Amino acid sequence: MTVMPEIEIEVREGVDRETIETVNAMAGKYKYGWETEIEMEFAPKGVNEDIVRLISAKNEEPEWMLEWRLTAYQRWVEMEEPDWAMLDYPKIDYQDIYYYASPKSMEVKPKSLDEVDPKLLATYAKLGIPLQEQMLLAGVEGADEPRRVAVDAVFDSVSLGTTFQAELMKAGVIFCSISEALREHPELVRKYIGSVVPQSDNYFATLNSAVFSDGSFVYIPPGTRCPMELSTYFRINAENTGQFERTLIICDKGAYVSYLEGCTAPKRDTNQLHAAVVEIVIMEDAEVKYSTVQNWYPGDENGVGGIYNFVTKRADCRGDRAKVMWTQVETGSAITWKYPSCILRGDDSQGEFYSIAIANNAQQADTGTKMIHLGKRTKSRIVSKGISAGRAQNTYRGLVSMHPKAKESRNYTQCDSLLIGDKCGAHTVPYIEVKNNSSRVEHEATTSKVDDDQLFYCRSRGMDEEEAVALVVNGFVKDVLQTLPMEFAMEAQALVAISLEGSVG
Amino acid sequence: MAQLQAKQDALTARLAGLTAPKGGFSHDARQAAFARLAQMGLPGRRDEYWRYTDPAMLNAVAPLEADTLRVEVPIFEGKDKLRLVFEDGVFDAAASDDMAMAGIEISLLSQADAQDLHWAKALYGTLEAAGQTPVARPFASLNTAVAHEGLLIRVTGKAPRPIHISYRQKSSTSDAILHHCIKVEAGADLTVLETGISGARSNVVMEADIAAGGKLHHIRPQGRSHGKQLVTHIFARLAAESLFKSFTLSMNGRMTRNEAVIEFTGDDAQAHVAGAAVGDGAFHHDDTVFITHDALRCESRQVFKKVLKNGAVGVFQGKILVKAGAQKTDGYQISQALMLDDDSQFLAKPELEIYADDVVCSHGSTSGAIDEAALFYLRSRGVPMRTAQSLLVLAFLAEAIAEIEDQDLAEDIRARMEDWLSRHQGK
Amino acid sequence: MLEINNLHVKLEEEDKVILKGVNLKIGAGEVHAIMGPNGSGKSTLSYVLSGKGGYEVTDGSAILEGAELLDMEPEDRAAAGLFLAFQYPVEIPGVGNMTFLRTAVNAQRKARGEDELSAADFLKIVRAKAKALKIDAEMMKRPVNVGFSGGEKKRNEILQMAMLEPKMCILDETDSGLDVDAMKLVSEGVNALRDAGRSFLVITHYQRLLDHIKPDFVHIMADGRIIKTGGPELALEVENNGYADILAEVV
Repeated sequence: MTVMPEIEIEVREGVDRETIETVNAMAGKYKYGWETEIEMEFAPKGVNEDIVRLISAKNEEPEWMLEWRLTAYQRWVEMEEPDWAMLDYPKIDYQDIYYYASPKSMEVKPKSLDEVDPKLLATYAKLGIPLQEQMLLAGVEGADEPRRVAVDAVFDSVSLGTTFQAELMKAGVIFCSISEALREHPELVRKYIGSVVPQSDNYFATLNSAVFSDGSFVYIPPGTRCPMELSTYFRINAENTGQFERTLIICDKGAYVSYLEGCTAPKRDTNQLHAAVVEIVIMEDAEVKYSTVQNWYPGDENGVGGIYNFVTKRADCRGDRAKVMWTQVETGSAITWKYPSCILRGDDSQGEFYSIAIANNAQQADTGTKMIHLGKRTKSRIVSKGISAGRAQNTYRGLVSMHPKAKESRNYTQCDSLLIGDKCGAHTVPYIEVKNNSSRVEHEATTSKVDDDQLFYCRSRGMDEEEAVALVVNGFVKDVLQTLPMEFAMEAQALVAISLEGSVG
Repeated sequence: MAQLQAKQDALTARLAGLTAPKGGFSHDARQAAFARLAQMGLPGRRDEYWRYTDPAMLNAVAPLEADTLRVEVPIFEGKDKLRLVFEDGVFDAAASDDMAMAGIEISLLSQADAQDLHWAKALYGTLEAAGQTPVARPFASLNTAVAHEGLLIRVTGKAPRPIHISYRQKSSTSDAILHHCIKVEAGADLTVLETGISGARSNVVMEADIAAGGKLHHIRPQGRSHGKQLVTHIFARLAAESLFKSFTLSMNGRMTRNEAVIEFTGDDAQAHVAGAAVGDGAFHHDDTVFITHDALRCESRQVFKKVLKNGAVGVFQGKILVKAGAQKTDGYQISQALMLDDDSQFLAKPELEIYADDVVCSHGSTSGAIDEAALFYLRSRGVPMRTAQSLLVLAFLAEAIAEIEDQDLAEDIRARMEDWLSRHQGK
Repeated sequence: MLEINNLHVKLEEEDKVILKGVNLKIGAGEVHAIMGPNGSGKSTLSYVLSGKGGYEVTDGSAILEGAELLDMEPEDRAAAGLFLAFQYPVEIPGVGNMTFLRTAVNAQRKARGEDELSAADFLKIVRAKAKALKIDAEMMKRPVNVGFSGGEKKRNEILQMAMLEPKMCILDETDSGLDVDAMKLVSEGVNALRDAGRSFLVITHYQRLLDHIKPDFVHIMADGRIIKTGGPELALEVENNGYADILAEVV
């Protein structure tokens, strides 16, 4: 048999031995689908003003926060659920959901993680998330220089605790749950909350404004490079419970932080709602990297169960030369509705968006970004890789807007879609709005299927079809994987393989 | 609800001044069009496909006054063609050639009731109706419902000469509504040239049904009046191994919306839609294209170029829809804007919606100013600024003009473009 | 032919001074070479002389046969007889190489009050000159420099020079990216154009180009000034010893 050399090179570039090993090692279906049996405390089902008051009271919030929530709630009641996304799902009964669920043991707030119920700590250990400060994130044993990662662990509606707080505080970095921030640093929260994603920005964000129960808060003081990576791990455990978290990150002048976010949920037959808001404020010369590996339970092969993931994420580059980079690996959820955006307000500010979205079986994803260029010489870059398999529908939706004053700005967008099988769909819906002529906007998109030659090459080397597809897909998404911190990149690579299971044959 | 009511109210007002022909072969199609319209109403600003173009001028009960051009510059003069003239939207027999031509039957919509045209009855309003989903196109239904004038052309062989539909505007307030049906029978081959401006405001629909192996070439320089308001729709259906190539040149115009709705129903067919638009000042130009692949191995190309200055606005909304099973589809789309100054706007939504895996589809969109490095290079070789700019603008437009197969016609279009550039330089 | 006096140039956008008083006199029929380390201002000099934007002349003059170049638009400088062979020839998609050349030739003829060349005459001349540079018809049909190899681009520059028949030719690192054969071809093209009425300014890093195009004078440029002038032997000295000695000597 003769082998065409360029295929060989392509496969080599796309995949390495490490990938093959990871793929082999992680064979198995959704592996986070187990449940922690623990006594829970629920607020009554449904949403109303009393529930809003209850959540606020549980978190011992200041009065202004309750008022803010109630205003949001009143606005939400008058709003209609949007239907413009290419998503098809049964009507959500917002009164059939628990909006607050907390382990009973958390009723008395633990002073530190040591006081947290061992069962809860065991949950995170099983997920591979280190809650002891000497431990590393899973999968990097043997790395030359172990990197430490501070973790805020959110379980259903509450944060269990945050690691490395004391050490971070020495650098002036505040990293805690948002409920704690509301108690300890109310002035900071009050100043910035809703300043990037307004209280009633959209239907799901407005609901979140009313009922968010916890989430993470980060403040990096001027000129500070955050001494370690920060991360939040979200776990939905309780049945019929929605998770509504709110994350607020403020990166002051000249500061830098890399923030990671992960999430999983047990397998269940019913759908569960997750509606989060992430707000990032970036001052002059500051830089934030925000990486997400979204691995909510996607539902089974027949589309039963899975998380409905409606998320509003936005970064505001407020100062000159501010920089934000979003990287997302979206493999989970039955429904994904998510458009991490960049407001490039400061002159010379930069926004980047790198995305891998994989939809298999009956999953539906409608995701992308918005790049709003307001400042002069602002730059943005979008690289989106969508993979559709099974009967899934995967849509890239994006906006690039060059305002009249955003002179000499640049955007480059590349969005590629890959189809595996003839029952799925891949869609691209970009909006391009250019209102000055010194800016340059370039958009390229392609849609194609997995290359038969590459598949054949892999299989002729002894891989089965599914492994071969996983390898080729890993090559397809490599550009984006490279933008992730190393630990995440490896996890993401493995996830790509797992989420494509059953996509061929 | 309130939105729909407003759209329906706008429709009621618009229809008040219009009458539909009574009875005749098109009666049922017109009644159906009225029914569709009643559901849709006229377009509103919040409709997804009107977000970049305000339909107000097209919705208005009466057109804005538009000056007629003092001199109509003829184009395609070197071509032997059969000319059919419409003045302010009404057929002008005296100015038109004799309609007899081998292999072609031509009738006037206004006189068709006297004839028994089965093919026309089957076609009139049919492609327009099919083109209303998934995106509503109310002006096309309005046209089907009330058009009195237009041509019914059926071609059974290779047409010896192109048909030239020549529009003339004499009144500054004329509101023309024209509906053409073209049936290209199996293996037949026709070129249609559409030139000039049919009224201060015009609504022109062309339904083209191309049978297996048929070919239709369509070249449309839309005239250079500044005041015109124009909405056009091409609905084309392509059977196996057929070909449709359409090129539109738009120069000036207060409001232009050109829609093309193309569906592949037979395998191995080809459709190319291209447009070059140049606007200076109060110019709003919108190309909205929807191509549906519902057959094997079809090829579609969309090539749209816009040159904008002094506040001109260019809009492109192009979509490739590949239905499940339409394997081996080759879909290509490019939309580009060259903005000659800082006031202009380019608004684009290039979409792909794909339900088949063995396809190659791509789209690209760019916008920006003239390439300074290229400009300097030309000038360093002694080419004066204005000539260098023209050369680069023409180079930018070349890819769209290249979609015209007939080299003589392409040359005429290029010359017209050059003429426009020489008039609109500087400032 | 060309007289540059006390030329001072800074970047328009930044406060960065690049040329700090360049003086250079080139007589008719002479070939001058400028050598110098990276960042010494060699390419800037060629851009400023040909009128590229982005630079601000803060002092000095450049007189081509009695006329001040620095006041002219780029196309007028070309018509006055100045030609720059670019280090990085620009790609222009959509404009055919032949169209480009004919537009340029006729624009210059028109500017000088001469009749335009007829299409047939033009074609005849181009074909002959292109053949000498091994530029085939296919290359003439392609868009300007688009998809050309490095060598093809440089040959195309020399073809333009041959067609435009300038008086003062500036070659900006024409040898960069050329293999030995291509360098020979390009040099032959240049040498064929040498005559008593035409002068050359050859900007290069390397002596090897000067083996093919023999200079009358060699100048060393550093930090925005010409710091040393000599005959062809100066180029050899640089080749053997580098710039360090010369720079040290001047300081």
